[in-house]
Amino acid sequence: MTYEPDMSDTPHLLLVEDERSIREPLAQYLTKQGFRITQAGDAEGARARMAAYAIDLVVLDIMMPGEDGLSLCRHIRETSDTPVILLTARGEETDRIVGLEMGADDYVVKPFSPRELAARIKVVLRRLQAGGTRQHAPEASSYAFAGWVLKTGERALVDREGVSVALSTGEYSLLHALVTRPRAVLTRDQLLDLTQGREAAAFDRAIDNQVSRLRKKIEPDPKNPAIIKTVWGGGYTLAAEVTRL
Amino acid sequence: MTRLFPRSLPGQIALLVAIALFVAQAINFGLLVRERQSARFAQVIVPTVTRLIDAAERLGTPVNPRPDTLVGADRREGRENRRLMRGGRVDFVPANPVPAELGRRSDIERDLRRGLTDGGVPVGQVIAVVRPIDASRPLLKRMDPARADRMRRLGAELMIAVELPGKGWLSLSSAWPRSERNLIWQLLAQTLILYIVVLLPVLWAGNRIARPLRKLAVAARAFHPGDDADPVEESGPSDVRAVIAAYNALSTRVTAMLDEKDRMLGAIGHDLRTPLAALRVRIESVEDDEDRARMADTIDEMNHTLDDILSLARLGRPSEPATDVDLSALIDAVVEDFRDLDQDVSFEEAPRLRMHLRPTLMRRAVRNLIENAVKYAGATEVRLRSDDKSVRIEVCDRGPGIPPEKLEKVFDPFTRLEESRNRETGGAGLGLALARAIVRDASGEISLVNREGGGLVATITLPRT
Repeated sequence: MTYEPDMSDTPHLLLVEDERSIREPLAQYLTKQGFRITQAGDAEGARARMAAYAIDLVVLDIMMPGEDGLSLCRHIRETSDTPVILLTARGEETDRIVGLEMGADDYVVKPFSPRELAARIKVVLRRLQAGGTRQHAPEASSYAFAGWVLKTGERALVDREGVSVALSTGEYSLLHALVTRPRAVLTRDQLLDLTQGREAAAFDRAIDNQVSRLRKKIEPDPKNPAIIKTVWGGGYTLAAEVTRL
Repeated sequence: MTRLFPRSLPGQIALLVAIALFVAQAINFGLLVRERQSARFAQVIVPTVTRLIDAAERLGTPVNPRPDTLVGADRREGRENRRLMRGGRVDFVPANPVPAELGRRSDIERDLRRGLTDGGVPVGQVIAVVRPIDASRPLLKRMDPARADRMRRLGAELMIAVELPGKGWLSLSSAWPRSERNLIWQLLAQTLILYIVVLLPVLWAGNRIARPLRKLAVAARAFHPGDDADPVEESGPSDVRAVIAAYNALSTRVTAMLDEKDRMLGAIGHDLRTPLAALRVRIESVEDDEDRARMADTIDEMNHTLDDILSLARLGRPSEPATDVDLSALIDAVVEDFRDLDQDVSFEEAPRLRMHLRPTLMRRAVRNLIENAVKYAGATEVRLRSDDKSVRIEVCDRGPGIPPEKLEKVFDPFTRLEESRNRETGGAGLGLALARAIVRDASGEISLVNREGGGLVATITLPRT
């Protein structure tokens, strides 16, 4: 293979997937969507291509024979800033959690809609271009703030007494976005963008509605919010110290 | 009666041993009584007969019909036997001196009669009674102290009257051992000692067997594959140890088998999802939007079914631990997810309700019920009710309901109501089966009831934790 210079307007994706029956049609589809695709059938091939090309984003299957996707994901995270989207075969929580903890930016569960994958690739790339809102540090397993602990694994919010307070998908995404960016003012558009990245289908209600629901759950006095504050003319901010656990 | 009967192993063994000991003691007692009786015959009857014969013979050559002279022969102490032999204290009276109201002892009478007949004394009636001695009886005070003492000690008095035909009655009384009473006390004391000596070790030994067995039962009842419980400690006698070792090996085997099942299910899941995923990617090249959407729906449905099958098969050993959960928030979150998808689901806000359960699974159970209601009725109302003992999650709809005869059947896997198995309504009929399995895993129950005025209420009842 010869080195080809990176064309700045077509993002270059590395697609790592051992199943040809998935990899090839997916590569085809993504090419049609305006991405430049390089394929790899295993971790070794992926490493070689990572070294050879300037890859903008890696789409990585977790379940692969030999070195698996998680281990490759860790390697990528240790050696570069290239974002990673995981393809997970199992709907199991553990893979997803471990993957996110390994520093993956997003994941889709098989069987996934290629459109959804394309949308997420775009979101991750856009986030990156927008100025490094991407978390360089891998996802923590929990975040503590104002007496609450948000567990990313179980997607649960745990109070001081250790009672877990369930969150809807939308509420979780919103709280996650706020907690990972404490004290930053996030506009409604930013929040919509951040929360849609993960569960697009499940989120089309107004941000304000979600915020007021969240406040009911976590604020001691929802009418007089002290944790999620409204910024006049701007958006929302998490007004609490966040500790990564 | 059955409640008094011990159910535990040591209790039953102890009861058995106690009964056996008691029976043996009773037999011993019987033999002892018989022996006592013959001894008594030798001790009391023989001398008495001798005295009576002696007296009768003296009467044959009557010197003095006055009874006093007969009685006065010997009043010295400590030489009773000889005195009896010489026929002391025999009275000669004209009529039967024994009060009729006293119970007669025919066994003694028979012995006396035989003895007298053997001795060549012709007798008419023979009457013998035993009466307990009242220690304060004035007669005793008049008696010589040694004899009175003996009377008191032995506790009874034997009164005998023998009719000499044509002559009158010979009457005599002597101390009689109330031996039966003493014997019973003896027996009781003996039995008590035996019980202490035998039953305590039996109880100890029984406990030594029963305790490990009880522990084993507890472990077997609590056996939950995959929770990595420690093996049961092998203790007790070797047979019991062998049982416990066998149980430990069995539980290890069961766990290994279930692990194997999990691995297999994982492999099946992977092997089925991969072609599904490939198919899902490929259908993007279908030009017709409607066709493509339908294909995508079908694939989603197959995937959903696969998920349900895998979850149901794995439910025996859930990977998720039970945690403290606010059930109200949990239901609210599930409902909210439906509302985010523009489904008409309402939840009447409920106060915080702390429960200990597996949140992801319970979410799934609640979701399945709501999904059904939305599917068949288009809208649903969810309520959370609680009292001291239980919590009820009610999912109510105003849909067509379920014919009463099918209310139970719908819980069976792969059962759906409409006979046509219309694919439009989706699902493989695993939703309720899965929900029930999840709720039962949490020691609860699901019920379906048709509502008055149409519709259905699906209720999850959970014990309060």
